[in-house]
Amino acid sequence: MAGIYVYSDNSELNGELIALARTSGQEVCAITLTDADAEEIVKYGPDTVFTLKGQNTIAESYAGAMAKLLTDQDASVFLVGATVRGRDIAAQVAAKVRCGLISEAGSITFKDGAVQTVRFMYGGLTEQTESCSSLTAVTVPSGKYQSVRNEAIKSVVVSMTVDTDPRVRLLGSSPIVKEGADLSKAKRIVCVGMGFDRKEDLKVAEDLASSLGAEMGCTRCIAEDRGWMPASTYIGISGAVVRPDLYLALGVSGQIQHTFGVRDSKVIVGINNNDKATIFNVADYGIVGDLYEIAPLIAEAVKNN
Amino acid sequence: MSKIIVCFKWVKAEDDLRIDPATLNVDLSKAKGKISEYDRNAIEAAKLASDVSGGEAVALTYGAADAKASLKDAMSRGPKQCYWVNDESAENADGFITANVLAAAIRKIGDYSLIVCAEGAADTYAHQVGPRIGAIMDIPVISFVKEMKLEGNKLIAVRKLENSLEQVEVELPAVVTVLPEINAAPIPGLKAVLDAGKKPVTEFKIQDLELDKDDITRKTEVSSFKGCSMSRKKIMFTEGDAKERVNALVTALKKEGVL
Repeated sequence: MAGIYVYSDNSELNGELIALARTSGQEVCAITLTDADAEEIVKYGPDTVFTLKGQNTIAESYAGAMAKLLTDQDASVFLVGATVRGRDIAAQVAAKVRCGLISEAGSITFKDGAVQTVRFMYGGLTEQTESCSSLTAVTVPSGKYQSVRNEAIKSVVVSMTVDTDPRVRLLGSSPIVKEGADLSKAKRIVCVGMGFDRKEDLKVAEDLASSLGAEMGCTRCIAEDRGWMPASTYIGISGAVVRPDLYLALGVSGQIQHTFGVRDSKVIVGINNNDKATIFNVADYGIVGDLYEIAPLIAEAVKNN
Repeated sequence: MSKIIVCFKWVKAEDDLRIDPATLNVDLSKAKGKISEYDRNAIEAAKLASDVSGGEAVALTYGAADAKASLKDAMSRGPKQCYWVNDESAENADGFITANVLAAAIRKIGDYSLIVCAEGAADTYAHQVGPRIGAIMDIPVISFVKEMKLEGNKLIAVRKLENSLEQVEVELPAVVTVLPEINAAPIPGLKAVLDAGKKPVTEFKIQDLELDKDDITRKTEVSSFKGCSMSRKKIMFTEGDAKERVNALVTALKKEGVL
C-alpha cells in the first residue's frame, strides 16, 4: 500500500510520527517489531500496522526487511524517530533502497506528492530547505508534533515473518543511570556557564532555580571540562535539546553549539557581565551585570511576587 | 594484516561563516577548513585499533581541491597513509553520494578489516554516512560506539543509546561509527606533524571509482541555504541600579506568563 511509513523504537515518538504523517492526507502505515508494540500503536490510529518478526532482537538488524517492505509497498516517505537506533536504521534503509535521507528535519510539509523539509546545519547557524518527490527517508526529533489518540480508526494489523541480519549479536545491555533532571520536559531551566568561578558558587544558581521551580542545566564545558555537573545536564547540539517556557542563562557566553539546544525555548534570558556576549543576540531579555549579584536579586524578586 | 580505514571530512569552520543580517545569505568563501571535530576521535580510534591488531591505519576523504590541506593534518594524527577522492562534486554531495563514493573508494583500497567513521560531521551532523557505507557494501554496522576492543577476528563494542548501554559483537570486517567520548584525540606533536609530510597520499578521481551517473546524483533538491534568524526580542534592562533592572526583568517575565 503506497503511503507514509513510520517507525520508531520509542513509543511516544510513534504517536508523534503518525500525527505528522496524517497531515499528508496519504495512507499512514506503521512498522513495528512486536505484537505488544503493535497493540500500543493502533491507539494512534494508523491505517495499517506491519509487524515484522525476525530472529535477531536488535532493531537495526531489521533494516533490510524494512527496505524490502518500503519497496514492495511503493512507500512515498519513510518517517523515522530520530533516536540512536532510528538514525542508524534510517541510514541503512536509505542506502538499501537508494534514496535520500534528511536527518533531524525541523519542519516537514507534504505537498503535491513531494516532501519539503527544513533542517539546521553548521550547529544551527544555517538552515537548508530541501524537497524530494520520490521515496525519501526523514528522521524526526521527538517533541515536535503532538500525538493524537484515535481509536475510531480500526487499523489493519499485518504480521509478517522476515529475515533479520544475524551478524551483529547482542551480548547484554545495562541501563544508564541518569543523574540530574530530565531537561527535555522541564518548564523552566536555569543554565550555568563558564561565568562561574568555583564549583561551590553553583549554589547561587541552585537558589535561583529553587525560587523559580526550575531545573538546572549547564554548558558542555561545565560538564565535560570542569566536571561540575553530570554530562546528562549539558545543553547543546551534542547534549540535551530543550524547549522550556523560560530558559535563564547565568554566565553563559552563548556559543552556537549551545544555543542550538535552547532555540525552541519560549523566553530566553541572559545574564552576563560581558555586554558583547553572544547570548544577548539570541535572548529576549538581558541584564549586563555580575551574576553573583543579579541571580540572588532575581530569586528575591520572584519570591516577593 | 588488513587495513583499518578511517573516513574523515574536511569541513568549513562554523566560526568563520559570514551571514548577512538583512538577506540571511551565507558567505562560506572566507571560512577556513578543518577536520570535523568528531572525525578526530574517529582517527584516534582507528590508530588505537591499529596498535592492537597490527593492521595499518589509513585515512580516506572525499573532498574538493581545498581538502588537500587536510591530508597531512589527518596523517599527523596517526594514519600511515591517506587516500583522497579529489572531486569538486564533494561540495554539493549529499549523504547518498558521499557514501557511494567512499564505499567505492574502500573497495578500490581493498583488504580492510575495519572501517571507522564518526557518528556525524560537524557541518551537516546528519549521522548517515557510516551506516550507509555498511549497507552499500553489505558489511555489518555498529553505530554510536563509546568503547570498542578487537579480539582476533571479532569486534566487541559498547553502544550508547538514550537510556541504556548495549554490548554487541561482530565478526570483521565491520563498520563502526564512534562517539567523541570514545577517546581523547590528542593534539599531534611536532614530530608527528613533520612525519606526516613524508607519508604517502593516493589520489583518486571520481572516474576511477566505477560509479554510474545515478550514484553521484543528489537525491534531494536544495531550494535554499540561509542563515538562521533567532528572532528574539533582545530587550536589555539598563536603567537604574541592579535591583531596578531585576525588577523590570521579573515584571516582563510575568507579562510573558512564564513565571
